Amino acid sequence: MNINVENNNGLCRLRIEDEMTISTAAELKRVLFDNLAGCRELEVDLSHVNEMDTAGFQVLYLARREADISNKVFRIVSPGPKILSVLQLYNMKDFFGI
Amino acid sequence: METDPVLQTFIIESTEKVQEMESALLQLETSPEDEDTINALFRAAHTIKGSAGVVGIDNVEKFTHTVENVLEKVRLGEIRVTADLIGLLLRCCDHIGHLLESLSAGKDPEENPELKTEGQAIAGELSAYLAVEGQGISAEPDKETTAQGSAPETLTWHISLRFGRDVLRDGMDPISFISYLSKLGEITGLTTLTDAMPPAQEMDPESCYLGFEIDFRSDAGRQAIEDVFEFVQEDCEINIAPLHGNKPSRKAADTAAGKQTQTRESGSKVGGTIRVDTDKLDQLINMVGELVIANANINQQAKRIGDNSLLESAFALSRLVEDIRDRAMKVRMVPIGETFNRFRRTVRDFSRSTGKDIRLLISGSETELDKGVIEKIGDPLMHLIRNSADHGIEERDVRLALNKPENGLIHLNAYQETGSIVIEISDDGSGLNREKILKKAVERGIISPGQELSDREINNLIFEPGFSTAQKVTNVSGRGVGMDVVKRNIEALRGSVEVESREGKGTTVRIRLPLTMAIIDGFMVKAGASFYIIPLDMLDECLEMSDEEKHLSFKRNYFSLRGTVLPFLRLRDIFNEPDGGNQREHMVVIRYAGGKTGLVVDELHGEVQVVIKSLGRVYRDVKGISGATILGDGTVALILDVPGLVRNGTRKRRSGL
Amino acid sequence: MARTIMIIDDSASIRMVVSIALKKAGYEVIEAVDGKDALEKIKGQKINLIICDVNMPNMDGISFLKTIKQDPNYKFTPVIMLTTESQEAKKQEGRAAGAKAWVVKPFKPEQMLAAVEKLVLP
Repeated sequence: MNINVENNNGLCRLRIEDEMTISTAAELKRVLFDNLAGCRELEVDLSHVNEMDTAGFQVLYLARREADISNKVFRIVSPGPKILSVLQLYNMKDFFGI
Repeated sequence: METDPVLQTFIIESTEKVQEMESALLQLETSPEDEDTINALFRAAHTIKGSAGVVGIDNVEKFTHTVENVLEKVRLGEIRVTADLIGLLLRCCDHIGHLLESLSAGKDPEENPELKTEGQAIAGELSAYLAVEGQGISAEPDKETTAQGSAPETLTWHISLRFGRDVLRDGMDPISFISYLSKLGEITGLTTLTDAMPPAQEMDPESCYLGFEIDFRSDAGRQAIEDVFEFVQEDCEINIAPLHGNKPSRKAADTAAGKQTQTRESGSKVGGTIRVDTDKLDQLINMVGELVIANANINQQAKRIGDNSLLESAFALSRLVEDIRDRAMKVRMVPIGETFNRFRRTVRDFSRSTGKDIRLLISGSETELDKGVIEKIGDPLMHLIRNSADHGIEERDVRLALNKPENGLIHLNAYQETGSIVIEISDDGSGLNREKILKKAVERGIISPGQELSDREINNLIFEPGFSTAQKVTNVSGRGVGMDVVKRNIEALRGSVEVESREGKGTTVRIRLPLTMAIIDGFMVKAGASFYIIPLDMLDECLEMSDEEKHLSFKRNYFSLRGTVLPFLRLRDIFNEPDGGNQREHMVVIRYAGGKTGLVVDELHGEVQVVIKSLGRVYRDVKGISGATILGDGTVALILDVPGLVRNGTRKRRSGL
Repeated sequence: MARTIMIIDDSASIRMVVSIALKKAGYEVIEAVDGKDALEKIKGQKINLIICDVNMPNMDGISFLKTIKQDPNYKFTPVIMLTTESQEAKKQEGRAAGAKAWVVKPFKPEQMLAAVEKLVLP
C-alpha cells in the first residue's frame, strides 16, 4: 500500500494505492487519523485501490465517523469496482454519500 | 479404456505407498517398537485412503480405512505389533496391490468375486483387532437426512450475525461469507451494525467489530444456510430464523435465552447424535404406551357415541399416535452388526486353540433390533456359535476325507420377516445325526422308544432339557449350558428357535424375535372372569364350537379341525378360572413352531394393541403368562406366553395325559 | 486478478483433483507436496488461501501453519486444514494455532470448492 498525501489550506487529499486490507489496516488507520487531526476537510481518493477487505472497510468507516464527531468534512472519491462492491454488499453507500 | 489422468496418478502414487507400507512392515519385524516406522506406515495407509476417497475409488477407500483404524490403534499403543499382525498387514498390502492392479487393467474390482472374498476375509481379521476395544463408532454423518430436511420451499429467513473479534486475523472475512450466502438465494435486506466499534484510539484495525442483520430469501433450507458459516460458528453469534409468513415466526430480536438455544442447536448438529440415558428413553416409551392405551379408549368412546366428527378426530389422533409409537420404537432399535462383530474374535480364538480353520461370514449387520433384545441375545448366540464350531464343524482331516473345503464356515445372518426379526447361525459341518439324537432322547427319557417323530421334531429334541450329544466335552461349549437354556433365553424374549439340518451338509439354527419388546398387537379373549391377550401374529383362526363338538372333543382330548387333529388347551382349566356358566365356547387356533394348537376360551373380544407391563410379583410365577397390560378402562389383561403354553401342553400329552 | 490458492498435500491425486476443481472455478493454483516444499514455493508469492493437509512427511500441517502465522506476509492468509475425523487432538492443536476452517477427508471436489468459495471469491 502506498498513500500519497497532499495538504492544501485545511483541505487534505489522500490517494491510497493498491490494497486496503488487514495487512495494511494498521498503517492505513495511522495515516488517515494523523491527517484527519490536522485538517478541516479530508478527501480520500480510492481510484487506485484494487482491493478492500473488511479490515479496510472498518478503518474507512471509523475515519468517516470520527470526522462526523469532530465536525469535519470527509469524502471518498472515485471508488473503483472493488470498493463499490463491498459498499454495495454492506449496504453502506449512503453512509459514504455514494 | 480411456486413461483418466487422475486415476493414473492415483494408481502410481498408491502403488508407491503400498511399497512404503511393505518396507515399513519389514522394518517393524526387527524393531517392532520403532515410532518413526509406525508413523510412516500409518501415513502411507492414510494417504492411500484419503486419495482413494477424493478420487472416488470406494473399495480401496473402505478397505484402507479399516487398515488405518488398526494402525491408529497401533500408533496409540493400544495394539501391540506382533508377527501375526505384521503378517496380516502384509496381506493387506497385497490386497490393496491387487485392487490397484485390477483398476490399472481397467477392471472394476467390485466385479471380481475372488478379490471381494479376499478383501472381506482380511477385513474380517482386521476388525477382530478393532473389536478388542469395543469397535470404534464410525461417525458417518447422515447426509441423506440432512438433505431431506431441506425441502425445496422458498422461505424468507432472518439471519443475525455478530462476528467474533478474531475472525479477520484468522483469515476469515465477512465479505466472503455474505457473498457466498448470496449465491444460495437473494439478500433482500442487509444492515451493517457498527455500534460495537470502540472510539478511534481503542479500535484495533485487525479486529472485527461488525454485525449484520440480513433478510434472505432462499429455497436452500436451514442446514445449507448454517453451513455457509460453518468455519466461523465457534467464534461468532449466529442466529438463523424463518421470518413471518413461513410458519412460526421468530424475530431476530430474540431474547438472550432464545439465542443461546439457537447457538447450542447449531453446535449440537456437529455430532449428529446425542447420548440418552436408557431410563429416560424407557420412560418416554412407557408414556407413549399410555398414550396408545388412552387413545384406544377414546376410539371406543367415540364409536359408542357415534358422532361422525368425533370419530374423524379420533381417527386422526390414532394415526398420529401410531406414528409416534413407531418412531419411539425406532429410537430403541440398534443394528445387530456390533453384536455380530464380537463373534469374529470368538471364532478366531477358537480356530487358533483347536486348529480347526473356521471362517465367520457375517451378513445382515444393518438389521435393527430392540436394544433390550440385543443386550440379551449375545449369550445365546455365543453358545450357538461355539456349538457350531465345536460340534458342527469337523476336524480338518475329516473334512478333507469328505471332500469338503478345508476351512469350515459359520454364517451369521439377520433379516426382517413379517413381524419378526430372524437370526440364523449356519455351519457347513456334519449336521445333526438323527439316529444319535433318537438314541439319546430315549436314553434320557425325553421320548418313549418307538415314538413316531418327524425329522423336524427329532432335530428340535436337542433343545430339550438335559440333552447333549457331544462326544467329548471341550472347554469351548461344554460349559454346563445346554441348548435348553438357549431356548429358554430366547423364549424369554418372546422369540422362538428351531433347527434345520442336513446330515453331512450342515446345520442352521433359526431364531425368531419380535420386532419390539414394549408393545404388541394382540387378540383379546375372555376366559372365566379374566381377559387374556394372544399375540396377533400367532393367531390363525377363531371357530365357534357347537355343543356336540364340545362334548366329542373333550372326550377325545382333541378337536377335529376340518378332518385334522388339533390338540387344544382350555384356558379356564389352565388358569383355574371359575366356570362362568357360559355355554358357548370358542376355539382359537394358534400357530406356533410350525404346528397348530387350539385354545378354548369363553368370549372373543377382537384385536387390541397393548403395552406390555412387567409382571408384578403376584404373576411372576404363573406359568403361561408373559406379561400384563392395562386396558383403556383400567382392567388388567394377561398376555399369554404361547410358546410356554404349547410346550407344557405337549409335555403333558407326551407323558400320557 | 485471479486469486491464488496453494494446495499442500503429499497425495498427488488429491492435489490433482483439487487443482482441477479450483482452476475450473477460476482460481490459480500452486501445488506443494509437504510443509517444507510449501515454504519454499510460497516465497514472494501473493497467496489468497492455503489448503493444507495435517498429516505429511517433512513438516506436517500444524508446524507449517505455525511457521506461516509468524510471517507478516501470510499471517492473515486463511488456511483450510485437511483432516480425518480421527484426528480430534490435531484439530484442537490446529485451532489453537489459528486454523478455523477444516475439511474432512475424503471430500468431493465440489465440497472443497464450496469451502474455498466461503473464504475467497474467485
